[in-house]
Amino acid sequence: MAAPGRDGAGGQDVLRRAGDASVLILTSLADGAKHGYALIQDIKGFAGLQLGPGTLYGALDRLERMGLIEALPAEDRRQPYRITAAGVVALRAHLDSIERVSSVGRLRLGLGRI
Amino acid sequence: MPASRSMRLVESALRCYPQRWRSRHGDEATEIAILLIRDGTPARSIAWSYLVGAARARLVIGPRRRLGAAAGALLLAAGSLGVPLALLSSPTPANAASVAHSRAARGQTIRGQPVRGPLIRGEPVRGTGQGAAHQIAAAGHDRW
Repeated sequence: MAAPGRDGAGGQDVLRRAGDASVLILTSLADGAKHGYALIQDIKGFAGLQLGPGTLYGALDRLERMGLIEALPAEDRRQPYRITAAGVVALRAHLDSIERVSSVGRLRLGLGRI
Repeated sequence: MPASRSMRLVESALRCYPQRWRSRHGDEATEIAILLIRDGTPARSIAWSYLVGAARARLVIGPRRRLGAAAGALLLAAGSLGVPLALLSSPTPANAASVAHSRAARGQTIRGQPVRGPLIRGEPVRGTGQGAAHQIAAAGHDRW
């Protein structure tokens, strides 16, 4: 399992190279456990893009190997997943990192901070 | 596309996943495909997504198989670059040198011209005995 770093400015962003799908999945799982189809629908709702099912399963397997999510007991044919404590830390570190980049970008474009 | 044909396409793509993956995710993956097709997602795009996912799943290999995969990749790369394997194992150039010198030593001709010994560092080889042939053969080996 990859050890996620601390959050904040000095924290290691383990999601930097994990891909956008991984970040979207963790964000979706941040408010509760979901199975594959619910993840696709939720991500479509808040990000406006539909993950391909092959992409979804690839990202789920990767996140599970990294210890950032875990599978819950299957319900019928559906396999729900939930974010782990390490996943919460990793997502927070990644969002902090994005926020820093976003702030600099907005300042340099003269847009200021939201 | 008829529903049965769409599902056949998706199931064909799902069969490309490793058995271990299919036993874990296969049923749910089929159900997701059915729901996405019902929502209006083209079956072709679902099948393509699963096909790419299957290729990636097969590329994720354990550490014990990495050495074999690396050796295989090297062989494939050598083959695709057109490197003849004979060059890697056969002492053909050295043999050619010793044959040429043997002919010269025996006074043989090629197309009416006397065979002269091969040059080593710009100097004609002196001597006509078997020892000189060995020298040339050895020089050939050194150069290869």
